[in-house]
Amino acid sequence: MQQRRELDQSYTNRKLLNGQLDTPKWWAPTVTGLGILVVIGLIVIATMINKGLGVTGLGRPVFWGLFITTFVFWVGISHAGIMISAILRLTQAEWRRPVTRAAELLTVFSLLTALVFPLIHAGRPWRIAYWITPYDISRGIYPNIRSPLIMDPVAISTYLTGSTLFLYIALLPDLGNLRDRTTGWQNAMYTVLSLGWRGNPRQWKMQTVGGILLSALMLPIFVSVHSIVSWDFAIAPAVEGWHSTIFAPYFVIGAVHSGVSAVVTMMALMRWLWKWDDFIRPEHFDALARLLIVVATGWLAFTFLELIFAVYGQDAPELALREMQMFQWPWNLLFIIFLLTGYFIPVPMWLFKRVRTNIALMFWTSILVNVGMWLERFLIIVPGLARRTPFVYTWEAYRPSAVEWTIFIWSFCWVTFLMLLFSRFFPLVPLFEQKESQVFTEDVTIGRAKVPAIVREAD
Amino acid sequence: MKLNRREFLALTGKTAAGAVIFAACGLPERELIVQSPVDMPEDLVRGEDAWYATSMGDFTNGDGVLVRVMEGRAKKIEGNPDHPVNRGKSTARYDSVLQLLYHPDRIQEPMLRYSKNGNLVNTTWDEADNRFRSALANADGAITVVTNPIRGHLGNVATKFADQYNGKHLTFDPMEQGVLHGAVKSVLGQEQLPTFDISHAHTVLSFGADWLGTWGSPAQFGVKYGEFRSQSHRGYLIHAEPRMSLTAAAADLWLAPKPGTEGDLALGIASIIINEGLATQENISTFNTILPDGLDRYSVAQVSDRTGISGDRIEKAARHFANHTPAVAFGGGSAGAHTNGSFNLEAIYALNILVDAIDTSGGVTPNPKSAIEELPSSSTGEPFESWEAELAQWRAGNVETVIIRGTDIVHGMPNSVGVREALQNVPNVIVFGTVHDDTMDFADLILPEKTVLEAWGTEIPEPGPGYQVVGTQQPVVGPTVSHDESGLTSNARGFGDSLLQMSDGSYGSSMEQLVKNGLADLHAAGRGSISASSSSLFTNGALQRGGWWDTGTRGTTDLGKIRSTERNAYYSDTGTLGTGNDFHLVPFHSNSLLDGRLAAAPWAQSTPDPITSASWSTWAEINSQEAQSLGIKEGDVLLIRSTSGEIEALAYPHPGVRPGVIGVPVGQGHHRNGRWAEDRGSNVLSILTGQKDSHTGALAWAATQVRVQRAGRRVKVPKFEGNVEARPVEPGVPVLVVAINETAEHAQKENHHIYQKQFIGKDEQDKQHE
Amino acid sequence: MTTENFGNNNWGMVVDVDKCIGCNACVLACQAENNIPLNTQDRVERARSISWIRVERYWEGDFPDAKARFIPIMCQHCENAPCEPVCPVYATYHNAEGMNVQVYNRCVGTRYCANGCPYIVRFFNFWEPVWPESLRNHLNPDVTIRSRGIMEKCSFCVHRIRRETRKARSEGREVIDGTIQTACSSACPTSALNFGNFNDPNSKVSKMKKDKRHYTLLDQFATDPNVIYLAKIDADKKVAAKHD
Ligand SMILES: Nc1nc2c(c(=O)[nH]1)N[C@H]1C(S)=C(S)[C@@H](COP(=O)(O)OP(=O)(O)OC[C@H]3O[C@@H](n4cnc5c(=O)[nH]c(N)nc54)[C@H](O)[C@@H]3O)O[C@H]1N2
Ligand SMILES: Nc1nc2c(c(=O)[nH]1)N[C@H]1C(S)=C(S)[C@@H](COP(=O)(O)OP(=O)(O)OC[C@H]3O[C@@H](n4cnc5c(=O)[nH]c(N)nc54)[C@H](O)[C@@H]3O)O[C@H]1N2
Ligand code: SF4
Ligand code: SF4
Ligand code: SF4
Ligand code: SF4
Ligand code: SF4
Repeated sequence: MQQRRELDQSYTNRKLLNGQLDTPKWWAPTVTGLGILVVIGLIVIATMINKGLGVTGLGRPVFWGLFITTFVFWVGISHAGIMISAILRLTQAEWRRPVTRAAELLTVFSLLTALVFPLIHAGRPWRIAYWITPYDISRGIYPNIRSPLIMDPVAISTYLTGSTLFLYIALLPDLGNLRDRTTGWQNAMYTVLSLGWRGNPRQWKMQTVGGILLSALMLPIFVSVHSIVSWDFAIAPAVEGWHSTIFAPYFVIGAVHSGVSAVVTMMALMRWLWKWDDFIRPEHFDALARLLIVVATGWLAFTFLELIFAVYGQDAPELALREMQMFQWPWNLLFIIFLLTGYFIPVPMWLFKRVRTNIALMFWTSILVNVGMWLERFLIIVPGLARRTPFVYTWEAYRPSAVEWTIFIWSFCWVTFLMLLFSRFFPLVPLFEQKESQVFTEDVTIGRAKVPAIVREAD
Repeated sequence: MKLNRREFLALTGKTAAGAVIFAACGLPERELIVQSPVDMPEDLVRGEDAWYATSMGDFTNGDGVLVRVMEGRAKKIEGNPDHPVNRGKSTARYDSVLQLLYHPDRIQEPMLRYSKNGNLVNTTWDEADNRFRSALANADGAITVVTNPIRGHLGNVATKFADQYNGKHLTFDPMEQGVLHGAVKSVLGQEQLPTFDISHAHTVLSFGADWLGTWGSPAQFGVKYGEFRSQSHRGYLIHAEPRMSLTAAAADLWLAPKPGTEGDLALGIASIIINEGLATQENISTFNTILPDGLDRYSVAQVSDRTGISGDRIEKAARHFANHTPAVAFGGGSAGAHTNGSFNLEAIYALNILVDAIDTSGGVTPNPKSAIEELPSSSTGEPFESWEAELAQWRAGNVETVIIRGTDIVHGMPNSVGVREALQNVPNVIVFGTVHDDTMDFADLILPEKTVLEAWGTEIPEPGPGYQVVGTQQPVVGPTVSHDESGLTSNARGFGDSLLQMSDGSYGSSMEQLVKNGLADLHAAGRGSISASSSSLFTNGALQRGGWWDTGTRGTTDLGKIRSTERNAYYSDTGTLGTGNDFHLVPFHSNSLLDGRLAAAPWAQSTPDPITSASWSTWAEINSQEAQSLGIKEGDVLLIRSTSGEIEALAYPHPGVRPGVIGVPVGQGHHRNGRWAEDRGSNVLSILTGQKDSHTGALAWAATQVRVQRAGRRVKVPKFEGNVEARPVEPGVPVLVVAINETAEHAQKENHHIYQKQFIGKDEQDKQHE
Repeated sequence: MTTENFGNNNWGMVVDVDKCIGCNACVLACQAENNIPLNTQDRVERARSISWIRVERYWEGDFPDAKARFIPIMCQHCENAPCEPVCPVYATYHNAEGMNVQVYNRCVGTRYCANGCPYIVRFFNFWEPVWPESLRNHLNPDVTIRSRGIMEKCSFCVHRIRRETRKARSEGREVIDGTIQTACSSACPTSALNFGNFNDPNSKVSKMKKDKRHYTLLDQFATDPNVIYLAKIDADKKVAAKHD
């Protein structure tokens, strides 16, 4: 059990604002490097739009591949934010405090990234305005609201709007803080952004109530987003492994699994990069890992149900699909990696507290989970398409092209780039939450050791 | 306030929000139809089209076609419903002719080579004509006109032209059917090929000839096959061929004899029929009289041993053939392309005697002679033997001028005859054509030719429908060759017109004139499908309908003899060919390229082969079990070697080939032939060895032994089929198979039970049904 | 408003699988009629070739009892088409004449409909279609050329239907059964493909549809296709006892 330092407010301010007031040396070169990669990625995307989707590895009948997989992946990651902030806030889990901002940020940026994929994977992206805005309504044709591809942008943009507001409201006190500590153009920027934050009781009250209200409002959206994403697949009757009634909860719980893991990854990085050992502490990892054990096991149950349905139903094409997915090269390799990384390596490890409180191990296991979760989506989307219906004659393989891989890698660079850019101007750990938690913390004597405890949790 | 459901609905229905929400609850039929108030682009049709009736002698065996023309451009080719041969139906080849017409690599100008080693350069027609004239003037008898087998006026012009210059007119067909003509002549006493009344036959027994795919008159036979299947007694098709062709695939019973044993199989069937007394005594004795040496060697066991087909299957075929009459037997293609080809085909055609199928309904229908006496109604490639002799003359420098049209002899002849050196020793090689082919590499003068859609002509179908037909061919578009991107120019001339221009005029001045004169003669005869008061009305009528025919005419037969019963002499000197496994090479016509004459057309290149779905390439079909034991997988590059050379082909193992046989499609492997065919695939004709049928001297093109070895590379076969061998994952999906008189529903239920049995076992199944 | 353009027709196809010989005449006819882009070798190899009608070949058994079974498959023009509800922009919809129609202008190229379609008859233009200038001469002016990035599929040769129905209307008569033939049914040598109006009880297809061999493909999806198949006959098949 670790000792916790008494953190006074000025130390907290100094430490947590080090990104803005005292930019670390690695920041500029890293952001420049990532920026270059991002530009390269954007050039590849532009080339693809210019030349056509022929540059991908797609064909008949595998019409969706790496892009849609990565879209689902990033939407999944985005479920971290609300899970951590809203649910934990409503359930008053105190340990959430240092990680809420990073989680919300991940939500916003991963949604922004996710949205790129359905856009660029369309044959004529420049025509996508049709989807959302029926601009030539003179013909009397609205977008087809029966299509999940209409529900998707609606759900995701609602989620994005809500998350952005949520992030912003939580940022207000810290913006006020920064305004007071900066000069020149930065001061001007923070002045505008902080919306006249003075920290008076009325403002605090409004800020708190706003946060709680948004939390409650966001919860159904949170559930809807990945449910709708799952319907992109579940309503296609002809694709083996897609048309399943369990998809919505299966996807939502999978999203939580990957999203929370991504938060763990990020926390470890923040702790290392900004030396926030005092704020992001092993007990946080411990708590998240416990949560993950439950979520992951729930998710695994759905995964196995899927296979059981296939075996039980004895539907010939579905059997053929599962046979390929599990036993045919190279799918079998992917499938094993998926099971090991998605569950069977990390979760048993997390059963041990020594692992849960070991930052490096948590970092690597959380990465494994997302390798597995990406593979999960790939293994749902592609094999089903490759083994479409009983028309064996049309069964085909799919191999993503270099262009697709580049854009896939671009998405990671892009999210990291945005995060780092954000970290230069805004604190990644909410100062006020941190201080509030300090207020609630007391040292409790357990046996011979004196450990910090959070009073409210003891209620 | 307390509302019941009805009131609630009434209330909300009145609000605007309610209106939106419940609007979606309307009847699905009304809700889902989102037709635009204006016509969609695909609803718009513009312009008037015209459909011209014509024929395409070089690409069909006399089918009548309609060409859709809009604003002077040919758009589509379909069957001519009036035409008695194909009755409105088509093949997977018609439309490709459009792409030869509008081929971007079409030859625009005459081209001249000033010295044998020089390059071809564009020239004017004047200079080309001068060169042509001097080549004729110097020839003095040493002149050969080479064409594909053509009938009608064009064939006649070529022959007359050669005669005038004391030369020869030789025809060349790489997969020659001379054996077939010989066998028909010998057994049925007919010059013209007969047709077969498949429509009314209850049993069809065919050998080697892929008559549904590429042999004979596929559109004609296809229409008849449709009728054969819709009779109240659905016809039963038995087909013997070592490799599964379209016809074999359509067959109810497929027999795969060892190549070259088709004659044995036929006589084996005959001996069963005779031994079991399934034919009348009269027919048996007629049969015995035409058989040279009895049926001693044709017991079921012996025949089964020689052909490699189980005795049961042979017996089944024989009994079905004899018991379910009217029945008809015919053959051709690879069955005749052996050293004993004549025997094979003669034995096959003789089977008709046993079932009384000659000149009867549901049997063999002889074709009459041509309605225009001077026009040949039958043509076939000159036998290989004659070609060997001819090429020896060329090589020796004894032939001054060779005029070639409609056939790519450099591509079509086996390496063994050395056609390239022969051409190099001919001082004047004049080649007509539309796209630069391999033969033109040896030409001294290239003359751009009109396509069949731009030129006049007539076509005598072979096989005809059983009565006299003269098909007409007219220019359906002007001489429109759009080569340069700016517009349409053409300097092409018809082959016939060019020859007529170079001759003394005694025969005629132009093809158009010849065709019209021919039609005038028909008018004078005063019979047939068109009755008109004047010759010009008659001509118009014929051109509008695509030809003239007289259903009242009949052909005759005159029973002859089977000339021998010899075995096939396999060419077995493969020991010298290095490592690998011995296979029997069976080349076959590509379904879309034929012998390669359509290879320049991208549609023809991309049309999937029916059996393998492969395109754009040369593949080799081998038996899948055999492939497995040899470690050969799909896409393996195979080296196929004969004493005449080596080619590469992509392995395509499937269950429809006899083990020990390798089937390779003809039609690829051009060095030239336009951007789409150039250096693509391999030319299987080049590695044929020069074996010949002993009676006709025709090339035994299916008698080559090869040694096959993996090259160690594997590539993706360009095919439409996916990456999994297509076998149904559950019975009846998607091709539901029913027994005669079984309903689809019953078959589906039965399939479902078969499928379930895999999982729950028989006992359980039975229990459930009690 | 819209239906005045159309008669009381329900177009459909009856495919007699027993007559199909797999010759591919239908495939080439459709290719030529409908301005289908050239299927280059690269497109074939990468499973991007476009063929609004294809002839599938299934193997059954092994040598010497191997059978190759052919079945032509084009858009089934489902009454209850799974491709339609998923399209976000109504680029594919059902018209009043029993056809599934594709509006090229509206399509944004999500390929979602292709995932929805159980019959895999939708084809995507991965590249801009190109023809050498001279080959453009044979393009059919009645049929739109599809640009890159959009879906296409069998249209039941809607332009032929329009031509003939307009002609009939201008002549003040009903469409005569058999005068409308699609390019594929017109080509098919064995008459395996038969096109006509199911709403006309006397049409050839209406009569054929009643054949006891009739079935529809993948009926587990309840798509209610307007393409009816007649089962392949195997003369040597033994019928098992009746099941119920
Ligand atoms: N289209 C349509 N949708 C519906 C309904 C409908 O009638 N039609 N009904 C609605 C209702 S009331 C319900 S309850 C839900 C049902 O929704 P689901 O529970 O999804 O129903 P099914 O699709 O019948 O079954 C799902 C899968 O279970 C597998 N299965 C079959 N038997 C067993 C078994 O004994 N054990 C296991 N493990 N798997 C089995 C089958 O392979 C099948 O693919 O659907 C709702 N949605
Ligand atoms: N073969 C087979 N049988 C099954 C199943 C299966 O998968 N296969 N699934 C089983 C399952 S999971 C279920 S839930 C059952 C469903 O079986 P049922 O409960 O019988 O469901 P339905 O037949 O869909 O609906 C019953 C009736 O309710 C009427 N109805 C609709 N709305 C209302 C209303 O507001 N009030 C009243 N009074 N009536 C209304 C409908 O018109 C319909 O006639 O089927 C079971 N039976
Ligand atoms: S299946 Fe679902 S979406 Fe479809 S009609 Fe029924 S309730 Fe509605
Ligand atoms: S590809 Fe086109 S037609 Fe298909 S769903 Fe997308 S927009 Fe609709
Ligand atoms: S066959 Fe496919 S594309 Fe055609 S209507 Fe049915 S679902 Fe749509
Ligand atoms: S109906 Fe027309 S569009 Fe459809 S497959 Fe046949 S030819 Fe092609
Ligand atoms: S044209 Fe007719 S017989 Fe030929 S493949 Fe097509 S459907 Fe079958």
